[in-house]
Amino acid sequence: MINKSLGTIAGFTAAVLLCAAHVALADNRPADNIQGFGPQTFSELKAQFAGKPFVVSLWSVDCAPCRVELDMLGQMKKADPAFPLVVISTDPIEKREDAADILDEYQLADEVTWMFADSFVERLRFSIDPGWYGELPRSYFYDAEHNMMSHSGILTEEKFRELFPY
Amino acid sequence: MFHLISDCLRPLHGRPLPDGLNTIRQFLLAAPLALASVLSSLFIPAAQAQNCETLRSAHGEDVISVHCGGAPSASFDHKNHLWVAFVSNKHVYVSRSEDKGTTFSTPVQVNAVPEDAEFNGENRPKIIVADNGTVLLSWTTKTSNRFTGEIRFSRSTDGGRSFEQPRTVNDDGLAIGHRFDSLFLTKSGKLYVTWIDKRDLEASLARSENYPGAAIYYTVSDDLGASFMPNVRVSHNSCECCRIAVAPHGDDNIAILWRQIFGEQIRDHAIAVLSPEGTVSDLSRATIDNWQIDACPHHGPTMVPASSDGQYHMSWFSAGTIHSGIHYARYDLATASPADIIKIDGTPGAGHPSLATFNDTLYLVWKGFDGMSTPLQLMTSNDEGRSWSAPQTLISTDQASDHPLLITSAEGVFLSWSSEQHGYVFKELNND
Repeated sequence: MINKSLGTIAGFTAAVLLCAAHVALADNRPADNIQGFGPQTFSELKAQFAGKPFVVSLWSVDCAPCRVELDMLGQMKKADPAFPLVVISTDPIEKREDAADILDEYQLADEVTWMFADSFVERLRFSIDPGWYGELPRSYFYDAEHNMMSHSGILTEEKFRELFPY
Repeated sequence: MFHLISDCLRPLHGRPLPDGLNTIRQFLLAAPLALASVLSSLFIPAAQAQNCETLRSAHGEDVISVHCGGAPSASFDHKNHLWVAFVSNKHVYVSRSEDKGTTFSTPVQVNAVPEDAEFNGENRPKIIVADNGTVLLSWTTKTSNRFTGEIRFSRSTDGGRSFEQPRTVNDDGLAIGHRFDSLFLTKSGKLYVTWIDKRDLEASLARSENYPGAAIYYTVSDDLGASFMPNVRVSHNSCECCRIAVAPHGDDNIAILWRQIFGEQIRDHAIAVLSPEGTVSDLSRATIDNWQIDACPHHGPTMVPASSDGQYHMSWFSAGTIHSGIHYARYDLATASPADIIKIDGTPGAGHPSLATFNDTLYLVWKGFDGMSTPLQLMTSNDEGRSWSAPQTLISTDQASDHPLLITSAEGVFLSWSSEQHGYVFKELNND
């Protein structure tokens, strides 16, 4: 399963080409939708979702199992563009071009997503969940009252729906 | 006795980090961050309090220094001179200190052609200096964003003034995953390189067969890296993303400890003994933590020999249902079982332990996180791990930091640790 993406070299190449089309030559930086994730970002995101359920998915460019989850999330988002999804890369935002390529491959490039933007990553991880050991992929399911359930490892869509029946 | 299977996971984050090592000249790994409630400033003399930011202010953004380098690791030579390897701007560098880390020589570039040498907690350049002065290095070079890499090796036969063109140690010629190298030199001069390899995974996929995780491979050189024997597989179905711990076993052999997939999705640890002839023995399960996770912990173990032959001190991280947090145990190859299992630190931020022994004392250092800062904690045992001192905070930081590593020489045991706040810290632990 990890390797679904490994077999799609052609798709990856296409994704790179597509991404190249996104490049804003003016400032030589990808015109992506990635925002920096700082120590206060998570509390701000929770405030934005006040009274509403939402899902958080954590991934990194160096995480093979994460690609499986991104694939599922991309398809879910495509089927329901209003799906309340927060995607956060735990890579330093200096790797944003790598992340943008991958997000594009999984049809998530048009969504606003976040990347860690503080080298003191322990604090960023703590701001999301003091009980998270850092393993990836990692997901959080918040209900409307913001009661939270967490999951480590690849999620099946069935499990996802069970944890987030909204 | 050993049931493999399932799929490994993925890393935490891609921060700077170190690797572990010990005793005679062995190598491994480790890594992360920190902040400053300097409960005890025991170990940070003012002279060492130069960090990269200070150096860049004085010498420019491109300054090359152990204090700015990514994921440094260190080793002593037989003259008790300290050698440190680190990554800077796609080059591996080596710097030497004749005063135990107070001052360093001008760094020497190892690879003349830039390559994407990995530097993070679980993946860092390793350095060992043989008794004849040959400087030996291995590292992993990332070759794509698809989890591929090559195991690289270089050496210096002129005392570190120049280095041979790096060579790739994995011999399959495939553009696939070969990562998380460890380097170890036995007293008898056998040079081992171990790593995580995906050639069996790729072969299985080509046959449309499932293959959980990756595999552990190794090679040996009996001429200090002039040549290596063909690659040998140690085990199928390893986890894909955790450093491998290495310790000596007799004169020529080594024991290794790694995260292995058991059953469907249990990522605990396995141990095995490797010989220079390419034989693998004593393969058995080393920890029973029951960590079921289809993800990557990026959290490898540490191991050093105990005083009795065939016994090893080991420390590891798990979030399993049986053991959660950092644990210690003493493993006996004869009985294939661990003893004196104790929980070292079960708080969520605790991780990345490093073990060392010196003068019958066992040292264990690890990283914590209290919500604001990262303390480095130390515990010691004088009875082979049966009982331990209370934890002592060596230093802390509220900025990014690497995994702590313990390094031993004939004279003592030392902390090797890099952080944004403190720069590269190298400090003796056994004289306070």
